[in-house]
Amino acid sequence: MDRKAELERKKAKLAALREEKDRRRREKEIKDMEEAAGRIGGGAGIDKDQRKDLDEMLSSLGVAPVSEVLSSLSSVNSMTSENSNTQTPDASLQATVNGQTGGKKQQPLNLSVYNVQATNIPPKETLVYTKQTQTTSTGGHERDVLAFDAQGDDEESSLPHLDNGFSSKLPPGFLTHGLPTVKDVAPAITPLEIKKENEIKKEVNELSEEQKQMIILSEDFQRFVVRAGRVIERALSENVDIYMDYIGAGDSEETNDERSHARLSLNRVFYDERWSKNRCITSMDWSTHFPELVVASYHNNEESLNEPDGVVMVWNTKFKKRTPEDVFHCQSAVMSTCFAKFNPNLILGGTYSGQIVLWDNRVQKRTPIQRTPLSAAAHTHPVYCLQMVGTQNAHNVISISSDGKLCSWSLDMLSQPQDTLELQQRQSKAIAITSMAFPANEINSLVMGSEDGYVYSASRHGLRSGVNEVYEKHLGPITGISTHYNQLSPDFGHLFLTSSIDWTIKLWSLKDTKPLYSFEDNSDYVMDVAWSPIHPALFAAVDGSGRLDLWNLNQDTEVPTASIVVGGAPALNRVSWTPSGLHVCIGDEAGKLYVYDVAEHLAQPSRDEWSRFNAHLGELTMNQGDEV
Amino acid sequence: MIGPVTSQEVEETLKRIQSHKGVVGTIVVNNEGIPVKSTLDNTTTVQYAGLMSQLADKARSVVRDLDPSNDMTFLRVRSKKHEIMVAPDKDFILIVIQNPTD
Repeated sequence: MDRKAELERKKAKLAALREEKDRRRREKEIKDMEEAAGRIGGGAGIDKDQRKDLDEMLSSLGVAPVSEVLSSLSSVNSMTSENSNTQTPDASLQATVNGQTGGKKQQPLNLSVYNVQATNIPPKETLVYTKQTQTTSTGGHERDVLAFDAQGDDEESSLPHLDNGFSSKLPPGFLTHGLPTVKDVAPAITPLEIKKENEIKKEVNELSEEQKQMIILSEDFQRFVVRAGRVIERALSENVDIYMDYIGAGDSEETNDERSHARLSLNRVFYDERWSKNRCITSMDWSTHFPELVVASYHNNEESLNEPDGVVMVWNTKFKKRTPEDVFHCQSAVMSTCFAKFNPNLILGGTYSGQIVLWDNRVQKRTPIQRTPLSAAAHTHPVYCLQMVGTQNAHNVISISSDGKLCSWSLDMLSQPQDTLELQQRQSKAIAITSMAFPANEINSLVMGSEDGYVYSASRHGLRSGVNEVYEKHLGPITGISTHYNQLSPDFGHLFLTSSIDWTIKLWSLKDTKPLYSFEDNSDYVMDVAWSPIHPALFAAVDGSGRLDLWNLNQDTEVPTASIVVGGAPALNRVSWTPSGLHVCIGDEAGKLYVYDVAEHLAQPSRDEWSRFNAHLGELTMNQGDEV
Repeated sequence: MIGPVTSQEVEETLKRIQSHKGVVGTIVVNNEGIPVKSTLDNTTTVQYAGLMSQLADKARSVVRDLDPSNDMTFLRVRSKKHEIMVAPDKDFILIVIQNPTD
């Protein structure tokens, strides 16, 4: 605002100055003219006499004298030159008024003179001029403009020749109108371009190899390349043909049709030659802030001893770029990982050494920004289970190591656990925990799978903190556990699934220490199991022979609803649903992360799915006694 | 320790982009339109750097003139033969030329 006001003031001042200048010039001109007239001699004198006579005649008739009419026609200033040599407009006004006071009827006429002077004050061109004088601070620009004008003049002067050449043959009215506009535009651009090109050619030579190296090594440059590179990669991968011709295209539609018929189809594979190779995927987690981001932890690569043992990569399922969003590593193999639920930037990892490490994707380094100490107060065994529980304002990181120690951590203080719990069987024997899961919306009690094939439930707090129930039993170590996502009515929150080395998947209820059902279709180690996040009766399971199974308990409990063998039949270690429930993500033992599309009719539950599942559960519990 | 790690990351990033299917060239230009890093030959680099940084400057000023609180974040020029992508920043511009038909 202040600047505007100042500008206005300056403009006004300049206008005033300019006006004064103009006036002075005109005064001079008129003076010169008069002098010239005087020099000519008597002719002028006669003229004056005649004018006086005319004035007298006219005033007697009540008309303004000639001199005044003349002044109103040309400018008031001519009068000031006659009357006096005052310079300010006010003074000149007064002078004219004084000069005219003699006549009685001249009062209204005085007003008209005043008006003419008022319209004379703000000429439009002055605005343009003031703008240009404002930019003089930048130096040579004004001169450049002048130079261009001169060049423009040259071109214009060359063009009219052509003009004339044409107009001699054609009627003069047409071309003279059309061509000048073309002339106006052309010279304005060409000199600018020439000038800029010259500048660039000059500057290009300025940067030496040394300077380039300096720039390349600067932190700004590195930050820029990493950031812009990420954007470019996304843009490059986004291979959408916006010029798609639907009239001509036939082939692509056929393949689409084929795809929609398949119940499970491979969407993409995440793999990084350097960081994924030969590394078994040990866990996966989905970001709560960005549902398209999945973090996967990788075991060590025994073939390359120089690389860090533990790797965690964040992959993006939304953009079709094949490279990870982030790569993090640490000195020990990462056995479990999860996003810090309430902070989009932090990623946690549980390592083989027992440390919990914390990475931050805002920091320009791949090593952990924080890690828990290796001490008897915390974990000294591999951390196979890591999860964040709680709410925005009260949340904890829960970790369990294979020696049965459960620790609760606060993200703000990783130097020591807030709470520890020894998970023990009777006879104070430690339980080797391999997997854990919290029932939906539960933060206190949890279920855990162990190496001895038992499933345990435990509470973190309260009177009965520690192991509560023992569920019997798998015949081999439990590899994966998954709790049913909760649906308020009917409540399936008590259900959970376990997978085991004993080739089976078992369905359990928290209310019953015996399994509700055992799925025995696999002929290899079943490595992981996961409930669908949107369908009450659907779950996915992977096994060591490369098989991915989808079970819909409402359709069949004997054989999986859909089953495929992943290409190359790699041993699959982990399975996880995308938060949307339309894709499953599988991690294999060689470091590949597969994303499979699940057919819509399979993934999306119909409305009666809940009641049907409830009925099926009833049947299962009825038959339970006979089978087990 | 941090310096070498990130400069290595720079190389990795540029290599990844360059190895992307259809990418013809990658150029990093400073804010004066002078190429700092390039995978193309010198003449082509200088030409692209000069012209594209001018275009990017102009495009940015268009965006800013339309709305002073706005800023340009990305520029794509699609032609019959190539697609030129420009990721501008305060101090540098990353130019990638790709062959979309491949």
